Amino acid sequence: MSGTHHFLTDERFGTSPIHRLDPRTKILGLVGLTVVSVSTPAGAVWAFALYAGILLFLLGLSRLPVRFVLRRVAAVLPFVVVVAVFLPFFDRAGGGGYNIGGVRVSGAGLLVLWNVTAKAALGVTATTLLAATTSFPELIAGLERLRTPRLFTLIISFMYRYTFLFVEEFRRMRRAMEARNFQGRWLWQAAIVGHMVSSLFLRSYQRGERVYLAMLSRGYDGSMRTAAPLALRRADTTFLAVLAAVLLAIRLTA
Amino acid sequence: MHIPDGFVNAPTAVATGAASLGAVSISLRRASRNLGERTVPLLGVTAAFIFAAQMLNFPIAAGTSGHLLGAVLAAALIGPWSGVVVMAAVLTVQAVGMADGGITALGANIFNMAVVGGLGGYAVFRLLLSLFPRTTTGYFAAAAGAAWISVVAAAAAASFELAVSGTVPLGITLPAMVSVHMIIGLGEALITATVLAAVLASRPDLVATFPKGLLPGQRSASVAATSFGRGSRLLSFVVGALVVSVALAVLVSPFASSSPDGLERVAQEKGFADAAQAPVWRFSPLPDYQVPGISDPRFGTSLAGLLGVAALFAAVVLLGRAFGKWRPGAAPAATAPALHPLAGHEHTDHRHAGHSHRAHVHLTDDPNAPPDPDHEHADRTP
Repeated sequence: MSGTHHFLTDERFGTSPIHRLDPRTKILGLVGLTVVSVSTPAGAVWAFALYAGILLFLLGLSRLPVRFVLRRVAAVLPFVVVVAVFLPFFDRAGGGGYNIGGVRVSGAGLLVLWNVTAKAALGVTATTLLAATTSFPELIAGLERLRTPRLFTLIISFMYRYTFLFVEEFRRMRRAMEARNFQGRWLWQAAIVGHMVSSLFLRSYQRGERVYLAMLSRGYDGSMRTAAPLALRRADTTFLAVLAAVLLAIRLTA
Repeated sequence: MHIPDGFVNAPTAVATGAASLGAVSISLRRASRNLGERTVPLLGVTAAFIFAAQMLNFPIAAGTSGHLLGAVLAAALIGPWSGVVVMAAVLTVQAVGMADGGITALGANIFNMAVVGGLGGYAVFRLLLSLFPRTTTGYFAAAAGAAWISVVAAAAAASFELAVSGTVPLGITLPAMVSVHMIIGLGEALITATVLAAVLASRPDLVATFPKGLLPGQRSASVAATSFGRGSRLLSFVVGALVVSVALAVLVSPFASSSPDGLERVAQEKGFADAAQAPVWRFSPLPDYQVPGISDPRFGTSLAGLLGVAALFAAVVLLGRAFGKWRPGAAPAATAPALHPLAGHEHTDHRHAGHSHRAHVHLTDDPNAPPDPDHEHADRTP
């Protein structure tokens, strides 16, 4: 479980032209790439190759460790496996079947499998690139400037701050539990986990109350002020313009 | 249950996205109207709590585990509107920050887990509250039932979206997703009820949905702790879950399989149905979910579902006895020394609530206040 929560460790790798882009640019560009690739018909295999090419190019620019990115992409594979991997063997609408080692495989099923695998992999790669080159506060500031309701972004930034604390608290409790030989094995032992969760809730909520009172006493009135305003630079506009042109060209031909 | 990119097509993504956007913005407005300037700190902290709690795996059976969803728990603790906002915040952070669930499927995921699981689960909770006796046991049973249904309903919603998108036929996903989550839901129900009981025992003012009439005064928390504390807690859970499962088996199962499932149909058309005539497990007492001797297929399916649920529960109880380790742990008996009159979050003047919490901070700030639940278990393991 530890590997799946990489933002918790704030694992950002180095600096690069991609890191230095404005968060809004990265959000628009990479979410745009995901949306465009998801809307592309599955048959246009070359289009997906091009999307992957763009992402690989950006990944190269960002100098993210290859293994890190691969690990993130591999994290979605279980869902793909569970949901779609058996489709080629059963899809009855299968026009044009194939014979692979004596097993009949339907063409339509293969297409669905390819469709979800390619799009899920592209989406995860794009999101990983975004999250690993942008600090969480930057990401929030970017979302906010892109008209996400301020109340929502404030809640998320609060949540982000406390998540570290609570996950650590949770690990401490789990360690205590394991040190006392608890091995969760059966469903009814979920009640013990329930007690853990309730302790976690009480501790975290009481901490929230203390923080809230501290904020009140320092003049908190429901709004927050942020420093460091964002600024779009030449690099940002160039990046967005080029990316948009390329994506549109691919999508319209596909 | 987090759907990645590519599994829902554009129309489904847009439709669920619009529905989620509407639900979240209404909830945001309602929550902030109720909470005022406490909105950000309290919802932020609760979202972080749900996020951390979702990391907890709980055992389902030897070898497999599920994790908490928390939609009904959040709704029961801080109210339905706040609950939707909290779940949406958690899912957004998971999608944007951790690539857990696709960006283009975020609308669908929020719809399944925050709207269907949270608001829908809360509606079921209200319904069950009105059906069950107005006691603490009834309250926990309603919460458990609603938690169970929220998980199953969210899974069903996800299967429908995958089917509408043309990704996987409904006949394949729905039975698979629903049956797995019917079991995961038991853990969710148990944890939800346990957490509510434990929180009520020490901070009854923190459970927004607990009916005020149930807490007459000083004894309230200890009553809540004991009535659900030993034996009867598990009993009430089992009874509640049994009622809900039976209702579902009887009411829903006839519609779940009005046509043969995808696999069977494929088998018929591809001509390997013959192979399916000789099942691996050939002594099924209820072949094809029908009871021998019952002619009406609908009724037969209901009955088969009913018998299946009964058999499952019997098996679980027997297993529990057989393994002997089954002793419901005592609820953390941290009865706070002083009890406030209920200060329901979404209803009270927040300034007043802030002051009453301030008074409470001193009482519960003791690091040992919520006793480690592990203490009672250390001695019983071999």
